[in-house]
Amino acid sequence: METFGVAGVGLFLLIVMLFLLAGGVWIAMTLAIVGWVGMALFTDMQAARWGENLFVAMWGSSASWELAALPLFIWMGEILFRTKLSEQMFEGLAPWLGNVPGRLMHTTILGCGIFGSVSGSSAATCATIAKVALPELKRRGYDEQLALGALATAGTLGILIPPSITMVVYAVAADASIIRIFLAGFIPGGILMALFSGYIAWWSIRHPDRVPPADPVPGLMEKLRRSGNLIPCTLLIVFIVWVLVAGWATATECAAFGVLGSLVIAASSRSLTWENFRASLMGATRVSCMIMFILAGAAFLTKTMAFTGVPRLLAEWVASLGLSPFALIGMLSLIYLVLGTALDGISMIVLTSAVVLPMIQKAGFDLVWFGIFIVLLVEIAEVTPPVGFNLFVLQNMTGKDSNTIARASIPFFVMLLVCIGLITVFPEIVTWLPDRLMGKET
Amino acid sequence: MIRRTLDRLYDAAGAAAGFCVFAIFAVMLIAAGARELGFRTGGTDDLVSWMTAGAAFLGLAHTFKHGDFVRVGLFLEKMPPRLRRGFELASLSIGVIFTGFLLWSVGLYLYNGWLYNEMSNGLLVVPMWIPQLSFLLGAALLFIAMIDEWLIVFGGARPTYVRAVEERHARGDFSEDV
Repeated sequence: METFGVAGVGLFLLIVMLFLLAGGVWIAMTLAIVGWVGMALFTDMQAARWGENLFVAMWGSSASWELAALPLFIWMGEILFRTKLSEQMFEGLAPWLGNVPGRLMHTTILGCGIFGSVSGSSAATCATIAKVALPELKRRGYDEQLALGALATAGTLGILIPPSITMVVYAVAADASIIRIFLAGFIPGGILMALFSGYIAWWSIRHPDRVPPADPVPGLMEKLRRSGNLIPCTLLIVFIVWVLVAGWATATECAAFGVLGSLVIAASSRSLTWENFRASLMGATRVSCMIMFILAGAAFLTKTMAFTGVPRLLAEWVASLGLSPFALIGMLSLIYLVLGTALDGISMIVLTSAVVLPMIQKAGFDLVWFGIFIVLLVEIAEVTPPVGFNLFVLQNMTGKDSNTIARASIPFFVMLLVCIGLITVFPEIVTWLPDRLMGKET
Repeated sequence: MIRRTLDRLYDAAGAAAGFCVFAIFAVMLIAAGARELGFRTGGTDDLVSWMTAGAAFLGLAHTFKHGDFVRVGLFLEKMPPRLRRGFELASLSIGVIFTGFLLWSVGLYLYNGWLYNEMSNGLLVVPMWIPQLSFLLGAALLFIAMIDEWLIVFGGARPTYVRAVEERHARGDFSEDV
């Protein structure tokens, strides 16, 4: 330890980690193995104590009441993914958009926003809405490039608008309140939808020749009848928002009621077969198992890191640089953009939290604010090649090359950057709602 | 024969993990109802956290075989098949060593807990090794699944976890990707 120096230890562990990750070792195991290597080489602990630490860290991370919200929120999305919700959404939204510049193109943004309020996954939101909206828009002659870009990027609203799997993971990793971070996501989510829709409207005004004519507008009664399909989903969203805002239940209870509501919606649209029930439950189990294993591996790594003193040193070093908050945020944005080209969002957050969060707190940033910031960066990662997952989803659904889809996403990608800029300059956009409803954090 | 037995074993444990998820849901609803009726529901917190652990650990082998464990595919996917096979074997070897160590750690900890009769310290008092059995079972099955997969790839076949994901994506199912 003395011969190596703390900085050397940190660098060595970082290299081991990058090597394992690049070689394709599963992320959860990589995290635990790096923790293991660190403990074996840089502490004078007995081998039996490594095992004890491994057990305590992994059990402690998984046997957690807070974490119980995770499988339930995932299950809720899985149930709704298997209903006719997206078809109903398109049918319900379409009649109201005839006079807006861009017309039905806005169904992509609104659909993703609404589905994002019941689902916590970006890929599922993108796939669900694209499945319905793409063929409908294409049939009417809307511009395919614009639709692809809008869907790829708006799909990421799934993780910004609560409930959000990414936010639950962040809250657990940062030991912050899940509900507070959920609440913080509403306003940025709304702003982002406005930015996306605004771009579509602006594009449509500039290219009137590429926007097909409106569908015949039905009468008001007919409009209302068609939108009636949206009532169950709206009720579920209102219910979840209300539960969160009123502070009536914990995140886990809210998730349990969300599952109940989704089961009722599925049953009422006759899509609750035994097969769907089983498939949704097992799908949710696998996703949460994967995520909880990563969290467990990270818990062990965090423990080792605390022994080695690397995060504290790094935090002090960054603090001693005297960077302005904007420079620090700019630097972190850059690091996450690079990480995002190779890693999925969850791993990105869990991987960096042990080192980055102490740094952020030392620099005086709010953990809730940083949560929203990091979610926005994950959203960007989902639409940047070579491994943006939403690009991959749309590539598989349309057969178009993922670079084409990435190019189509560029304007919307810029809107995401604008949103990051907005919350950095006006942090109240993020903190106002949770502070207002839950009081300032002490 | 061994193939079928193993696959059933992974899937059975996976189903048990699924049951844990369902049980979390059910217990939360029942506890909310009971609280409204004025019953005390303190012990449910422990129960829920143990079932969360059960959901996490019992499903490991099943999830691994299903290809849902995330990894960086950026370089793997660009490799020629022979090189890729080498890397898969290396990853699996590391996996076997790590899960072996994990199994040993969990076994030792549980054995000690059993020996010294460690009890849970919440409202629900039971010997701690009972809820922790899910960890032991999950770690054991993951260890077996790693060896199993190592043998499959060593024998020249493509890894099960790669084929499973390709099939799922070919069906247009992205529900398991966050």
